[in-house]
This record gives sequence, C-alpha cells and structure tokens, in this order.
Amino acid sequence: MTIQLNLQSDQVEVAEAESTVVTTPTTSIEEVFLLMKSHEVGSVLICEDNKLVGIYTERDAVKAMVDNIDLRLPISEVMVASPMTIGEGAPLAEAIQLMAAGRCRRLPIVSGEKKLTGIVKVSGILHYFVEHFPQTVFNLPPEPNIIISEREGA
Amino acid sequence: MAIICPSCCHENIDGADICENCQHSLTGLNRPGDSQSPIGNAMLRDRIASLDPRQPIAVSADTPVAKVLQMMQEKGIGSMLITDDGKLIGIFSERDAVMRLGADFSNYRNRPISEFMTCSPDTLTMDNKVIFAVHKMALGGYRHVPIVSGDDLVGIVSIRDILRYTSEKLAGMDTQVE
Repeated sequence: MTIQLNLQSDQVEVAEAESTVVTTPTTSIEEVFLLMKSHEVGSVLICEDNKLVGIYTERDAVKAMVDNIDLRLPISEVMVASPMTIGEGAPLAEAIQLMAAGRCRRLPIVSGEKKLTGIVKVSGILHYFVEHFPQTVFNLPPEPNIIISEREGA
Repeated sequence: MAIICPSCCHENIDGADICENCQHSLTGLNRPGDSQSPIGNAMLRDRIASLDPRQPIAVSADTPVAKVLQMMQEKGIGSMLITDDGKLIGIFSERDAVMRLGADFSNYRNRPISEFMTCSPDTLTMDNKVIFAVHKMALGGYRHVPIVSGDDLVGIVSIRDILRYTSEKLAGMDTQVE
C-alpha cells in the first residue's frame, strides 16, 4: 500500500527515460551539442562496442563554453569517463539514494559487462511520484492560495 | 480518515467539500477508496521552508552571456536568476545554454543574458507546500523554482532538494518499520 514498498519492489526501469541518445567516442563536441539540441536532452551517453565508456551532460557543456573549447575535438577528450551506473533490475529506491548521495541527476542502466540498456533521470523519478499519488498531485489547484468563493455551475 | 487541506493544512473530517478553516475546495480530494501515500502526505504537510531553499544567485538583465556561464560554472549551479531592482524577471538554466546557445555559443558571448533567458518564471513562496514544487517541476518539466516573498526574491528550490527530501523521508520510514 505504501509508496515505500513500491520503491523497494519496483525496479529502476519503471522510471526509465523513453529514449537514450548514444554516440561514439570519436564524435566531435560540436556534433554532440547538435545531438543534445535536436533530441532536447541534457545528456549524451558514449558507447564503444555496445559498452558504456562515458557520459556528457549539459553541465559539461557549460564548462566547455566557459573554457571556449575547440568544438572539433572528439567527445572522448572531454566526456566523464566510467560514470556512475545502476544495474539492470535494481530497486528504484537504490537509484534515488545513489542520485541523492552522488549528486548526479542521471544514472545509465547497465547489464553485466557494462552493456548499456537505458537511463534513469531525476525527472523520471519525479514523474513516478506524481503517478503514484495522482490524487494528491493532480488535484492541486493551478496556483496555491486560491480560494473559490462560490460553487461552479448551477 | 481526515482530509488534509492542500492550501492551509487543516485536517478536515472525511467527506468535507470545503476546508473548514480556509474554504478551499476539497472536492477533488474527497474520493472514497483512495489511500494517500506517506510521502505524498508529507509533501502536502511540509512547507517549502522545510527544504531550506538555497540563497538565490542573481544578475542583472544586461550581464553578458559569458559572465553568466562563468558564474554558473564557478558556483556549480544549474540556473541563474535575473533580477531588476531585486525583482525577479527571468531565469537562465543549463538547458537554455544547450538549447539557445548551443554550438554557436561563441557568437553570443557578449550579448546580454536577457536575450536568452526565460521571462517571468513560475514562483512559489516559503509557506507553500512542498507538493506544489513537485507539481510545477513534473508538469512544467523544469528543475528550479524561484521562491519569492512579495516582489522580493528570497531563495531557489531545485529538483535535487526534492530528491534529498524524498531520500530522507525514505530513510526515516525504514527506521520506523524496524
């Protein structure tokens, strides 16, 4: 009945993002920027032979802009290598604890030998909450502190 | 089972149509058979102030893009607030950097941030409930909500604060079960 039970028994895949944007280590930074923009995502995963080797996020993009980096460089030069991951089928509670402790907003989901299967994002977890207490969240008024003085309708 | 008013937190008797204390409509919350989750209840009960919102970091509308990006990186923040005389007028996030500046960023380094910011972002106040922040972030798809008091900017709540809050609540419930 409680959401806590769901968080322990529900697997991380219930909050998995619909799509994952993946590229190779030799892709240029410029192409990665364009990928992020066209797919409207905040992160790109870098894989080699189906194995996860790195991640590049919008925070890294801001750093690249500040450093005025040469966009023709390959992404492997600036990506975060061997990022924190979560195992396939791990409980969702583990993902929440990892993100809260590791100060990251995304966890690639991997199986066995670092084979990428998906990604779980903090926004997906928020959506999971919203779906688990829809009555509480979706019945909120659009703005707080609205007082309805009269009953609507006849 | 009592119905907790989302607006003022008053505990109303089961079946009430409006809140006894503030006259807020409770019709949507008043359905039989629905059990509320403990985390959902906590979010309805706790106020934004309990998240201990961080001090806002703000710049003026004419600040150049390069300066804003540099401040965001140095301070490790995901979004910069833009104010005019202490009044919030916009927000610029990492997402905006990727979407609006993108690969052409070097052409925009000296342009004012006001050209790229999101104007008049949604705000909340310290005494609003945590659930409103979750609601705004989930439906609006953003990760930061500025907190205001009247016209004054007083703080900012990020999706990470919500994550921390939830993980603390989860840890608390674990010990209760034991």
